[in-house]
Amino acid sequence: MPTKSYNGGIVVPNLYRVESVGIITVSLPNKVVLPLNERVTDKAVPCVSVGERVLTGQVIATNKDYDSVPIHATISGQVTAIDDQLIAHKSGLKTRCITIQSDGKDEWIEQQDTIDNYLNLAPSVLINKIRQAGIVGMGGAGFPAHLKLGLLGLSNLCKTIIVNGTECEPGIMCDDALMQNYPEKIISGVEVMLHISGAERAIIAIENDKIDAHNALLQYISDERISTELIPTKYTSGSEKLLIKALLNKEIPSGGFAIDEGIVCQNVSTVSAIYDAVVDGKPLVSRIVTVTGSGVSSPDNYDVRLGSYFEHIVSLAKPSNEKHSIRMGGMMMGTDVATMSVPISKICNCIFVNNVAPKYDVKECIRCGSCNQVCPVDLLPQQLYWYSKSENTEKASDYNLLDCIECGCCSYVCPSHIPLVDYFSFAKALHRKNIEDKRRTDAARERFEYREFRLERNNKERTEMMEAKKKAIKEKMANEKGQKDKIAAAMDRVNKNKEDNAQ
Amino acid sequence: MALLLGLILGYAAIKFKVKGNPLIDQIDAILPQTQCGQCDYPGCRPYAEAIANGEAQINQCPPGGQDGVDALAELLNVETMTINDEHGETKPKRVAVVDESVCIGCTLCIQACPVDAFVGASKVMTTVIADECTGCDLCIPVCPVDCIDMVELKPTLRNFVPDIGELANAY
Ligand code: SF4
Ligand code: SF4
Repeated sequence: MPTKSYNGGIVVPNLYRVESVGIITVSLPNKVVLPLNERVTDKAVPCVSVGERVLTGQVIATNKDYDSVPIHATISGQVTAIDDQLIAHKSGLKTRCITIQSDGKDEWIEQQDTIDNYLNLAPSVLINKIRQAGIVGMGGAGFPAHLKLGLLGLSNLCKTIIVNGTECEPGIMCDDALMQNYPEKIISGVEVMLHISGAERAIIAIENDKIDAHNALLQYISDERISTELIPTKYTSGSEKLLIKALLNKEIPSGGFAIDEGIVCQNVSTVSAIYDAVVDGKPLVSRIVTVTGSGVSSPDNYDVRLGSYFEHIVSLAKPSNEKHSIRMGGMMMGTDVATMSVPISKICNCIFVNNVAPKYDVKECIRCGSCNQVCPVDLLPQQLYWYSKSENTEKASDYNLLDCIECGCCSYVCPSHIPLVDYFSFAKALHRKNIEDKRRTDAARERFEYREFRLERNNKERTEMMEAKKKAIKEKMANEKGQKDKIAAAMDRVNKNKEDNAQ
Repeated sequence: MALLLGLILGYAAIKFKVKGNPLIDQIDAILPQTQCGQCDYPGCRPYAEAIANGEAQINQCPPGGQDGVDALAELLNVETMTINDEHGETKPKRVAVVDESVCIGCTLCIQACPVDAFVGASKVMTTVIADECTGCDLCIPVCPVDCIDMVELKPTLRNFVPDIGELANAY
């Protein structure tokens, strides 16, 4: 079998292997904190108020926008606050959240009927169910699942579904655990997606170090449209465009989307959530999270309610007594967070707890070119570094900065320990800000010029109007004079007649 | 209808007018478009014209800050100068917010705003379109009941830019 792959990427040893991959269902948290914006662009509006009792699965905030999903209570209890709270974001900024204090009962909303045969339902109905269940891409991107499917429902664009079970970041094992423990859910979820999209086939991609997961899935595949593909264990295989390149040898161009090529990618966790929503009528209220790293002695996977604080599950993985650094997501692509008192979100697949280690000294770039070789999207990190550091975002964009998937391979191999990827995420943010600033200044310039034009026009109109009025009055006066003359003439005639008659 | 057409045509005329002087355009592109008049000209473009004609110095724009002065110097290929603080101090980006409970609907601010960022009408409460406010301060002095406040724009999750100051040392 030819190995399917792409250029670049790196092999990172997994330091945190476990004997067998299981899932521990965690006790209910005392409280949950649920942000109103799952993605930075969202703005959900609460539909409950402080003091109100809510049930598990109840919608507590809605989004008018079709692009976003509603937010559900993940435990039953009382809404105790709707205010700004810290979330797991590198900015350390707060955002509006709904806090629910648990009543310990986990009382659910009346469950929607389970559907025995979804094949009888129209794709649009199912897509709406998926949206109402609050499902977003759970692999890290958080892109609403119904949007990817919604497109298809309309126009049958999708030919191939790719189910991403690669889980390429070393240390993370929540998807592996899901595949091993709930393979039937994933396969049924894929069948649902095939029905909705009308796609011809679905390929489940798994890295070749997860043989158990692969075998588990194989047992349940009966639909001949579904196949699996083992790909080499290499970091960044999980990135959507690279996976497409590896599996189908198709390039998605810069700025393009997978759907342009008739492809839809979905992570295995998302597929399993789609199954829950469509077949069991259950909204997304929990997820599986890996806790691992040098700071815990028993790395494991936890099935936990969304909105629970990090510490709720980290404490279960036997953390060491040392000082820790916390990272949400993988060791490569994750985000550092300052505290464990932040809520677990739908995209939080892993919490890395590391003992704080001495940092490397950053040295000058020695132009070794190692970074250029490992970049999986064929960029030139060495060049990008200079432009990003000097804030020359225009030049950096010329070198395709925006195509950088922030995988961190370049930083990983750099012998000078330059945190290249951090420079790139900085430069990307700066680039976005510059564009936004320019949009604002251009708008201000235009509005200023329009105002000048408007004032000038108003002036002109006013002068014209005044002149027209003056003219009208003059005419009227002239008219009036004519009338007077006529009357006088008539009077003269009358008087003259009188005189004539008298004679 | 005719009025509307006239409006569109008239506006198109300014929008697409061939701006006579590309140098003025280039200078104007650097200026922040706050339209505050602190440079002693009635707006950014008039100031750009004055610079191009050699009537004004390049360091008269407080919102543009020292970075703006440097950029102008580079464009014009002249020695840069320090910003002239007689024209005002450089402040962080702000927007006007109307205290709607106090506003009497006098519309003076609407007339003062150089970018038409206020919406309102005579005797009804006025409000500001935050996205269009340039933070020029021109509405502050005209308000008879002092109900306009300038509020600093806070960074959001959306426009957050990380700091790279720390990166160069240890990783
Ligand atoms: S972080 Fe960006 S530049 Fe570096 S290897 Fe990954 S994609 Fe390439
Ligand atoms: S790997 Fe590091 S030292 Fe080598 S060229 Fe890239 S940035 Fe420079």
